[in-house]
Amino acid sequence: MKAETREVTISVNGQRMTRRTEVRTLLSDFLRHDLGLTGTHVGCEHGVCGACTVLVDGVPMRSCLALAVQADGRAVETVEGLAPEGELSEMQQAMRDEHGLQCGFCTPGILMSMLAAERAGVSCAEACGDVLGGHVCRCTGYQGIRAAVRRRWATLPAARGEETPA
Amino acid sequence: MNRLVGARVARINDPRLLTGRGTYVDDISLPGMLHAVMVRASIAHGRVTRFDAAEALADEDVHAVITPEQAMARTRDLPLVWLAPEQRHTHVPVATDEVRYVGQPLGVVVADTRASAEDALDVIDVGYDELDAVVDAEAALADDAPLLYPGWGTNVVASYDIGDTGEEIEPVFAGAAHVVERRLQVQRLAVNPIEPRGLVAQWDAGTESLTVWISTQVSHHIRDHLAIVLGLRADQVRVIARDVGGGFGSKEHLYADEALACLAAMTTGRPVKWIEDRGEHFGATFHARDVVHRARLALDENGRFLAIHSDIVGNCGAHASNVGTGPFRISSIMLPGPYRFERAGTRIRGVVTTTTPTGAMRGFGMQEASWVRERLVDEAARELGADPVELRLRNMLGPEDLPYETRTYQRYDSGDYPEALRRVGAEIDKRSRPSEGRIRRGVGVATHVEFTGLGPSKMQQLVGFHLGGFETGVVRVEPDGSVVVSSGVVGMGQGIETTLAQLAAEQLHVPMSAVTVRLGDTATAPYSASGSIASRSMVVGGGAVVRAGGRLRERLVRIAAHRLEADPGDIEVEEGVFSVKGVPGSSLTLAELAGHAWLGWNLPPGERADLEEKDVHDPENVSYSYASHAAAVAVDLDTGQVRVEDYWVVHDAGTVVNPMIADGQVVGGVAHGIGIALHEEMRYDPAGQPITTSYLDYVMPTAEDIPDMDVSHLCTPAPHIPGGMKGLGEGGTILSPVTVGNAVAAAVPEIAEKLVETPLSPSRMWTLIHEAGLHDEAGPHDDPTSKE
Repeated sequence: MKAETREVTISVNGQRMTRRTEVRTLLSDFLRHDLGLTGTHVGCEHGVCGACTVLVDGVPMRSCLALAVQADGRAVETVEGLAPEGELSEMQQAMRDEHGLQCGFCTPGILMSMLAAERAGVSCAEACGDVLGGHVCRCTGYQGIRAAVRRRWATLPAARGEETPA
Repeated sequence: MNRLVGARVARINDPRLLTGRGTYVDDISLPGMLHAVMVRASIAHGRVTRFDAAEALADEDVHAVITPEQAMARTRDLPLVWLAPEQRHTHVPVATDEVRYVGQPLGVVVADTRASAEDALDVIDVGYDELDAVVDAEAALADDAPLLYPGWGTNVVASYDIGDTGEEIEPVFAGAAHVVERRLQVQRLAVNPIEPRGLVAQWDAGTESLTVWISTQVSHHIRDHLAIVLGLRADQVRVIARDVGGGFGSKEHLYADEALACLAAMTTGRPVKWIEDRGEHFGATFHARDVVHRARLALDENGRFLAIHSDIVGNCGAHASNVGTGPFRISSIMLPGPYRFERAGTRIRGVVTTTTPTGAMRGFGMQEASWVRERLVDEAARELGADPVELRLRNMLGPEDLPYETRTYQRYDSGDYPEALRRVGAEIDKRSRPSEGRIRRGVGVATHVEFTGLGPSKMQQLVGFHLGGFETGVVRVEPDGSVVVSSGVVGMGQGIETTLAQLAAEQLHVPMSAVTVRLGDTATAPYSASGSIASRSMVVGGGAVVRAGGRLRERLVRIAAHRLEADPGDIEVEEGVFSVKGVPGSSLTLAELAGHAWLGWNLPPGERADLEEKDVHDPENVSYSYASHAAAVAVDLDTGQVRVEDYWVVHDAGTVVNPMIADGQVVGGVAHGIGIALHEEMRYDPAGQPITTSYLDYVMPTAEDIPDMDVSHLCTPAPHIPGGMKGLGEGGTILSPVTVGNAVAAAVPEIAEKLVETPLSPSRMWTLIHEAGLHDEAGPHDDPTSKE
C-alpha cells in the first residue's frame, strides 16, 4: 500500500532541508529517520512524556503529535542546534554540573522546553514547575534538573529570576 | 594526588547525551534495513485457530510475515533463569498458538517501513477459540478457576517455604502478647523506562553470524539465550548495547519478541529493526509486583519483636518469567529487615494468570518486603501507643551484632543501622508543619536492609539461579599511555562508565581524562552472565576493576623501578608520572613506560610485555546496604490527594565512589517509589484486557509530585568487596512507598489500619476517608468517581 507523499521543506537549526515524505509521517520520524537528526527522542508517541519536544517557529511542540507536512515552510530547532559541535550551551552545562540527566533519553526534550522558557522570560519557579511538569523523567527524580534550571536562571538578567506577574 | 574515589566527578558520557549525539538503538540505521512489527494476541486466553496473512503479503512493501506455525518450527524453548523448587515451568516457548495474555507475540510482519508494517498488521486475520480469563492470583487459586495449563491441575507454578515454618514459628505467635496481622498488597506495575525496548538485527550469511544492537542491561545473557532459541552457537552471535535509555529491570533478559525480530533478519537476509511502542510496552514488557501478603508480626509484652511471617500469593502472569517466583523469594529472605527476630519465615505460592508475566523491576521483592514489614511495625507502634522510631530502635540490630545471620539465611555484613534511623529521626524532629483545616499533615519513617551486589555464584547455584555471579574487569594501558577499561556490566544511565573510570584512574594514579571505558559489546567485553541487574555493577564489576587496576599499577611500578634503577618501594606515581622519591628529574611518563613495555624492551626479568590485567571477581557474600527514610505528607481530606512535602534519606552503600551519582541514584529511586506509593497501577478488566496502556491512564510521577530531598550517606565499606562498595541503585525505590504510607497513616490515623495497599491514589484515599466518616458532611463534596 503506497501512501501519498509530498515534498516538505523545513529549516532545521538554520539549515534548509527538503525531502519527499509520506503525508502521514510524524515530524518526530521525519527529523529522526528522514533527516538523520536522532537527538530528538520518541518515548510515548502520544504526547505525554515530552521527550520529542522541538521548537517550531520558536514554539515548543511535541513532534510526535505533529505531521512533517505541518512543519513545511517553518523553522524547526532541535537539540543538535543548541551549541556548536564540541561545546555545551549554558543550560546543557548546568545539566551536567547538577546531574540533571542519567540515561539521557528524556533530556533533549527538556532542553528544548527550557530554551523556549528562557526566551519567553518565564520565572525560575515556573520553569521548575509548569515547564518541567510537561516532561516525564524516570531516572532523576527531577531534583537535579531543577538544580540545573536554578543554576541557569541565576545567570539570566535579574528580572527573569523573579516571579513573573500573571 | 587528588583522590578520585569519593569525588564529585562530572560524568564522562554526558556531553554526547546532552547534545543529541548519543546512540540509542532506534538511532541505528543500516543499509537495506527493514522494519518489523509484532503480531500480538488481542485476547487474554485461547488458541489461535486462524492466521491469514495473504492480503498483507500481497502488499509489495511487505517482505515477510512469520506466522505462529513458522515461528514455532524455527525456534527452540527459552530457558528460564531462576527456578524454584519443583517449578512447573523450566522453559517457555518463544512462539505458541496457545494465548495466555493480551500482547503475547504470535508472529512478525517485516516491511520497508514501520508504517507499512503497521498497515499490514491491520489486514492480518487472526481467529481464536476463546477461553475464560483469570486476572487475579487469589481468584486463580479457586477450585473452579480456569486453568492455564490444564495438565497441571492447578494454577500454582511453584510453592515453597522460606525460613521458619509450621511448628517452628506458630507457637511463637500463639504465645505472643501482641500480634499485628494484615492483608497487605502491592499493585501490579509497568516498568516504563522512557526508552522502550528495541533492537536492530543483522544476519551475515557469509560468516553465518548474527549481530544484534539492542537496548539491554545484559548483553552476554541476551547472546547466550539468542543462540539457544535460534539454534546457533554462542560464537555466531554478537550482542551490542550502546546507549540504553533506562532499564529498571525491564531489559534484563531475552524476550520472545526480540528473538522473533532476530529470526526475521535471518529469514529475510536483510537487517531488521524492531522498536517497541509505548502502548505495546504495557502488554509486551514484563510487569512487576502484583502480590498479596497475609502477614503477621508477633511482639512480647515489652514491645520486643518475636516473629514475622507472611503467606505470599504472587501473580506470575501467563508463565513463569525468567525470574519466576524470584521477587517473592527475595521478599521472603529480606522480610526480617534490620531487626532481631526469634523466628521469621514465609510461605510462597506463585500463581499463573492470563496476564503479562511479571518479572524484575527496581526494588525486586524488597520493596514489597518493606511495605509489609514496615507497615506492620508502624501498626504495632500505633496499637501499643509506642513511638514508631523508638519501637524500631528497641528491636534493631546494632553495629556490635554484625556480622549477623538472619532466620532467612542472610549474613548481614557491616554498618550501623540504628545510626541511620537516629539521624533521620533527628531531622524530622526539627520539622513540624501543622495541619490546617482540611489539610492533614504527618511524618512517617521506615528502615530496611538491602540485598545488593548479586552475588556469589555458589549462592546463586544454591537458590537455583542459573547465571554466574562473578564479574571480570580488564584494565589495559595502551602503548601511548591511554587506559582502556573493559567490563561486562552495561551502562543504562546509572553512570557506571564514569565510576569505573574513577576506580581505574585512582588505582593507576592517572587523570580521568586518560581513561576510556568500554561496555556492552560481547565481542570485546569480558563475559558477564548476570550483567547490570540487582545493584551489582559497581559492587561486583567495580571490585574487579579495583583489583585489576591495582595489579597493573604494581607491574608499572616494577617496570619503572627497573628503568630508573631504583627500588620499587621508592617509586612515586602522580598524574601518570613515575618518579624516584627524592631524586628530582628522575621520572618517566606512563606513555614512555608503556611504549617500551609493548615493544618488550627494558623489562625487568620475568615481566610480561603486555600491560593488561584481568580480574575475575566472585564475591564471597552479598553486600548489604541499608537506609532509613522519612517523609512528610499533606493529605487533603476533601480530594483524597496526598502530597509529599519533604523527604529525608540516610543511606549506607559502603564506599561512595561519586557522591553526585550516588545522590542521583537515591533521589531517582525515591521518585520511582513515590510513583508506586501514589499513582502507578497496571490494571486489567475482568476479561484480561489491559486498561492502562498509555501515560494518560498509567500515571507516571512528574516534577510536581517529587519534592527536593535531603540525602546523606554513611559510608561503611563492604568488608569483603575490593574498594568496599555496596549497591545503591534500588534502595530509594525499596523504602519510599512504605515511608509515604506510614506518613499518610500518621496524618490520618483514623484510616491507618486500612492503609494496606498502594497506590494511595486520590480515589482510594477518598474512599477510605469517607468510610472513616472524615468527609465534610456540610461541604459540596460529591463522590468524584460518580459524577454525572
